[in-house]
Amino acid sequence: MTAPRHHSTLVVNGETRDVLAPVSATLLEVVRDQLDLCGTKRGCNHGVCGACTVLVDGRLARACLMLAVDVGDRPVTTIEGIADERGLSRVQQALVDAGAIQCGFCTPGFVMALTALLDANPHPSRDEVRSALSGNLCRCSGYIKIVDAAMRLAGSPDA
Amino acid sequence: MNYVAPTTLAEAYRALQADDAVCLAGGQSLVAAMNLGLASPALIVSLRDIAALRGIETQADGGLRIGAMVSHAELAELGPSAPGPELLSRAARVVAYPAIRARGTIGGSVALADPSADYPVALQAIGASIELGGRSGTRMVSARDFFVGLFETARATGEVVLAIHVPPGPAGAGAAYEKLSIVAGDFAIVSVAAIGRDRLDIAVGGCGPTPIVVTGVGASDEALLAAGRALAASCDAPSDHRASAAYRRRVLPELLRRTGRTALERASA
Repeated sequence: MTAPRHHSTLVVNGETRDVLAPVSATLLEVVRDQLDLCGTKRGCNHGVCGACTVLVDGRLARACLMLAVDVGDRPVTTIEGIADERGLSRVQQALVDAGAIQCGFCTPGFVMALTALLDANPHPSRDEVRSALSGNLCRCSGYIKIVDAAMRLAGSPDA
Repeated sequence: MNYVAPTTLAEAYRALQADDAVCLAGGQSLVAAMNLGLASPALIVSLRDIAALRGIETQADGGLRIGAMVSHAELAELGPSAPGPELLSRAARVVAYPAIRARGTIGGSVALADPSADYPVALQAIGASIELGGRSGTRMVSARDFFVGLFETARATGEVVLAIHVPPGPAGAGAAYEKLSIVAGDFAIVSVAAIGRDRLDIAVGGCGPTPIVVTGVGASDEALLAAGRALAASCDAPSDHRASAAYRRRVLPELLRRTGRTALERASA
């Protein structure tokens, strides 16, 4: 039996998109499979790895832990909506400059987490950065350069 | 699977009469369980549009009435407060990760009653109460009676956690919440909440199906360690992928002593 599909209107990266999906469909499934925004990654699918991190209403969210039908009119920003017309965002550029990218699978989630951290706290300490990133796993274990990139943005002497 | 998002409690209570209906609060546990194939409810009743479940009200005595849909992030950011609310705020700051704290709610965490979660421990140390609502009215249950077993609470089918009532705590008391975990934000291996001034009320999480409470513990290191050793000897600590039962019993007394010391250092002289 096919599950009944529900209509939702999502605002993703400033665009209004109509979606028909089962109630059990997560925001992650909908952005990847229906809206073709594949920058948001599916890692663990239960909230531990952080690869699917997006912004909902300007705050961090695990896309795998939100039902698409429950997002309502809260605007969603995915990694595709982070860069401006000129190219990469400053967080993305800092990760490139620090060589903080290996396989790249976790990178979209780290970009979202760092973007939210620096919006709330422009000059975090190294400990604050590490704590803010504790919910993002890098399977290449490249954490040191990711934290280095964040410290450059923080303009901190211990960068 | 169906979905409704009522805007009033009366509508929510009516929807929850359906067979196999569940409340969706922040979704940080329910949706994970659905993704893992551990939950497949017939009807999801989303609580996100019910204004009555939002907001934090300060009571005349300095205590708080915290709406069930208040997020961990909101509680983590509470300003200067009486010792009871301060203990809860300290616990909220170490619940999971920033993305989870932005979405997860106190009502959802309390209703789930995970044995390694942070709020049940803090709420029992403080002596908070849980306000429940349903078709037959509302009732208050002490947090120390609310958590009855592993993922089991005093909430009846069809009832909704409406709010958490946090008393101010004793005048001049200090409060502390410490958890031992593998990385910042992971579920606790062992956690301890302590509040008091000359004597401490203490709750311990991660060492059994529900938190364990001990009240009126003396302020000396010896008294704290003795209380910790007694709890370690009597608790039903689990062995899981985070730690063995023996490890939990080994670290409990010292974590309890440190948490107690921190609370006492924060008490006004």
